[in-house]
Amino acid sequence: MTMAAETVEASRSPGVPLLQADGVIMRFGGLTAVNNVSMTVNEGEILGLIGPNGAGKTTFFNCLTGLYKPTEGQVRLSGVALAPKPRAVVEAGMARTFQNIRLFANMTALENVMVGRYCRTSSGALTSILRGPKFKREEAETRARAQELLEFVGLGTSTDHLARNLPYGNQRRLEIARALATDPKLVLLDEPTAGMNPLETRQASDLIFKIRDTGLAVVVIEHDMRFIFNLCDRVLCLVRGETLVEGTPDEVQSDPRVIEAYIGTGTDTDEDAEDSP
Amino acid sequence: MIKIPDIPESVVVRHGAKAWPLALAGAGLLMTGSLLSWSGDPQVLGDLSISFNPGGLQIQALALALLAVVLLLAHKGPLTSLGQWADTALGLRALATWALLFMVMVVVAITIEAGGLINIDPGGWISLLGAVLLFAAARLVLPRETRDPAEAHLPGWSEILVIVVLMAAILFGTAYALGLTDAWEFVLFLVFVTGVVIAGIRAGLLSWLGHVTPRHRHVLTLAAFAAAFFFPFTQNGSDANMSIASQILIFGAAAMSLNIVVGLAGLLDLGYIAFLGAGAYVGATLSTSAFATIGWNPPFFVVVLLGACVSGTLGLIIGTPTLRVSGDYLAIVTLGFGEIFRLSMFNLDGNNGPDLTHGPNGIPAIPDLAFGSFNFGDTHNVLGIPLARFSNYYFLLLVVIAFIILVFSRLNNSRIGRGWVAIREDEKAAEAMGVNVFGLKILAFVVGAFLAGMAGTIKAHQDVSVTPDQYIFLESAFLLAAIVLGGMGTVAGVMIGAVILKLLPEKLRFFSDYRLLLFGLLLVLMMRFRPEGLVASKRRQLEFHEEDEGLAVRVEGEFAEEVKP
Amino acid sequence: MDIFVQQLVNGLTLGSLYALIAVGYTVVYGILQLINFAHGEVFMIGAFGALTTSLVLFRGQTSLWILPFMIIGAVIASVVTAVLMERFAYRPLRNAPRLAPLITAIGISVFLQEIVRLNYDHVPFTSWNPFDLPDAKSLIPFPQIDVVTGPAFQVGGVTIQRAAIFTIGALLMCSAVLWYFINRTKMGRGMQAVSQDPDTARLMGINVDRVIVVAFMLGAILAGIAGVAQGLQNNNIDFRMGFLAGLKAFTAAVLGGIGNVAGAVVGGLVLGIVEAMATQYIPGQFGGSPWKDVWAFVMLILVLVFRPEGLLGAKAVDRA
Repeated sequence: MTMAAETVEASRSPGVPLLQADGVIMRFGGLTAVNNVSMTVNEGEILGLIGPNGAGKTTFFNCLTGLYKPTEGQVRLSGVALAPKPRAVVEAGMARTFQNIRLFANMTALENVMVGRYCRTSSGALTSILRGPKFKREEAETRARAQELLEFVGLGTSTDHLARNLPYGNQRRLEIARALATDPKLVLLDEPTAGMNPLETRQASDLIFKIRDTGLAVVVIEHDMRFIFNLCDRVLCLVRGETLVEGTPDEVQSDPRVIEAYIGTGTDTDEDAEDSP
Repeated sequence: MIKIPDIPESVVVRHGAKAWPLALAGAGLLMTGSLLSWSGDPQVLGDLSISFNPGGLQIQALALALLAVVLLLAHKGPLTSLGQWADTALGLRALATWALLFMVMVVVAITIEAGGLINIDPGGWISLLGAVLLFAAARLVLPRETRDPAEAHLPGWSEILVIVVLMAAILFGTAYALGLTDAWEFVLFLVFVTGVVIAGIRAGLLSWLGHVTPRHRHVLTLAAFAAAFFFPFTQNGSDANMSIASQILIFGAAAMSLNIVVGLAGLLDLGYIAFLGAGAYVGATLSTSAFATIGWNPPFFVVVLLGACVSGTLGLIIGTPTLRVSGDYLAIVTLGFGEIFRLSMFNLDGNNGPDLTHGPNGIPAIPDLAFGSFNFGDTHNVLGIPLARFSNYYFLLLVVIAFIILVFSRLNNSRIGRGWVAIREDEKAAEAMGVNVFGLKILAFVVGAFLAGMAGTIKAHQDVSVTPDQYIFLESAFLLAAIVLGGMGTVAGVMIGAVILKLLPEKLRFFSDYRLLLFGLLLVLMMRFRPEGLVASKRRQLEFHEEDEGLAVRVEGEFAEEVKP
Repeated sequence: MDIFVQQLVNGLTLGSLYALIAVGYTVVYGILQLINFAHGEVFMIGAFGALTTSLVLFRGQTSLWILPFMIIGAVIASVVTAVLMERFAYRPLRNAPRLAPLITAIGISVFLQEIVRLNYDHVPFTSWNPFDLPDAKSLIPFPQIDVVTGPAFQVGGVTIQRAAIFTIGALLMCSAVLWYFINRTKMGRGMQAVSQDPDTARLMGINVDRVIVVAFMLGAILAGIAGVAQGLQNNNIDFRMGFLAGLKAFTAAVLGGIGNVAGAVVGGLVLGIVEAMATQYIPGQFGGSPWKDVWAFVMLILVLVFRPEGLLGAKAVDRA
């Protein structure tokens, strides 16, 4: 499988940097959760972010997506510096999912995805009240695009189901569809297979390949090593808020420091506290 | 609600067969009694003392009995083909229970009003006996298999006919209720209506209506407005009820505007009456009243626009800084703002600050509106029916409220409405998905304030005077209560809530002292037992019942059905 | 200078009253993230509890030894109200959307005011008035107590009311006891734990329901004492007194940083002093007492805009 991943990488033309994070530092009071992490994601690339519990992966994600304002460092998308505000980040073309699913539970699957279209549509209050041609066109387009995305992630038949009624695996898919609805250049997936069975995990990695094949770059946080090494073109390993290793899955996999970090004497702290942004 | 214990199964099985004829006999007795004289004293509860000339209450009893007969025939007999859709047994039980309550209350009322049981004529006792019999027999009627009313499809025209008949019934019911001056008669009429509605709910009629109305949404809206439009024509020129009705519309307009803020955007505003007040003060100060403090009298539509804009601007000023902080704070800040507004209007009397509002005395003697030669103070004859001052305002307010409802529902069913739902569901996730959370909150706040200000300018003319004590905190609480009682985020619910909260105190003056007490209790009980309100918005219902899986599945089915044209 | 000191004294008196009530808001908020909007009514009922005690047991007497009984009566009335309200109105809504308890609070607030207004002088639905209590529909004179009411002290050019000394003294004493309770007792530490993380606290064996009840009781005790202080200061009480006082006290709690007990005390004092100074020193037509409430609420808004965490820093408002 690693072979397959490498072939895919070779067949693309990597090297055009899409996302560049430079020297990101995030301190909470005296605690440094992310210490001087730099990361580059190239166009059409799948990058894995691994690390033991409490390594600062989700915190780093939150810094990238504007939920946290990094203490120091800069994040650039296509060369343009991103303001540390979630909405600005989405509008610039970077969308995310959450580790603990945060769907709009009482909306239908379709409506959830339609909310994702919000930042790419512009009907204002007056247009909505007057119901002019623009409103009707945009509303129809939004609906069509949302339906298309639901089909893309394999939820074409669940359109009218409430998000809270969907099975767990489908909720994760729906969250991905919602992120895709914002027309991103890059999606960040926070533990997309957490709590999934092997079949669902395989389907998830198929979906991620499929997303990449449409030309998007993907960054994945994951605990499941096999999943990550099968999926990713490059892997970044964080330990205690710092970059330990960065390289191809093979390099990272065989690096003794990574093995030590995972199996070694680790003084793991619970990451749950920082999960919810 | 008191739970009547179920009858042991063995009894039901043994006597089940006798239940149907017994119930029919009960209904018959109730009818017969209602045709006879109930009361020896012709002075009480309208005139119930003439046999074969039933008074209002007797007609209601007849109607209850007739409904019972229809339900019985639908249960077993010629109307079974209709009855298969409805849970006739449950409906009958509910109807019988309320019919009994109705008759008992009639007996009590006659006894109290006329002084002693002696005043009850045989007809009254026969009806009471009939009601008891009907009640007992209905408890024994066995429920049958019923089919899901969702599958019942009548021809389109007959569904529309049902809606029209329903609206006509509501129109005449309201007109009749408003005409009742006696508190007992009014309460008994409420019991009658409640009984019929609950029987309808139990029989599944309402859930059928719930499936029919979305198919004919426009017809429903049109019929509702037509009913509201014809209401003044039922008053024979009397302006007393029209005064109440136009007060209800003002209140309803404000509640509907607040509904955008609370029901759609999920923001709690406890000082909302200030926006209505801002509009009213603009209307007053720019009027031709001798006490108006600004000597500029632009045409009224300019005043309306100005009032709305001033109010909207206040909304912007108060919203911009506070909508960034957490929702709880917003409630208190708006409360503080409401007080600032009231105190400012109270103080701006020339001694403390410029003389803008005449302080506690307010601005009296605001003249009636006049559009061209049409003066709102005059009585106009339409089709021979005189329509007086309040009717004129009523029609104007109807237009305003239609506009507010239009804005409300169109915003709700749009990209913006989806954004609001997303914010209510999970603000952080909405922000992370690119929804302009702050902008949408401000929008709700400003639009709500704008519409309330608009209504306020009309209120100034209708009330003749504007004083600070019309805009106390309690009024804001009432507006909020109309929304909570009726159903957050719904149009029908909030209008019903507004009607209930304004009409009941007018009609039930004997408990006017306890009005506020009951109001407070009502809020607490609603939040505890039915937080989604009388007419529940499906989404709100889901939000208030996060753990109810069954509800989620049910609602999902209804959502899916609505999407299908 | 005398004027300044005079206003400082006035402000401190007013502020002490606000602070006593504000603690109730802040303690409950710290634990439940609930704005107990009806807390102002708890304060009002405290004042009526004191009045009732005096009228029923000591009618016509003015000796100082009655005061402790009045305070006890006030505290009992407040605490019973607060505990009932928590048990029957708030507890069932613990997991409801945040709108629900706020609306409930408004309902309770109106309900309590009306109960007092309508039924203080007779048992509900009867005209039975065994203790000959006065009609509460208008202002009721509050009993005078030797030593704590009466002629004011003159210190230089500054007038100090006797009741003011009582109020400030009450605040000092309550603060000390409160500090001891929160930091030195098991229950107090339990409260701190619950306010940090209720779920973990529950797992650690803390009875969260009891902690919440205690929080309501604490607030009610202080509010009851504040009710007595208010009665002594103004010489009269009425059923509406809780609304404005509650709103001001909430402002004080936010000013100090809601959820922070020390903050509530500081916030109350600052608000009182600002109000007194604004009354005295804002020149022109917008100064003076007609506008003082307006300035207090303007301050509330300004604080929320520029320093929503308050003077001493609030607990994180969004726990989710």
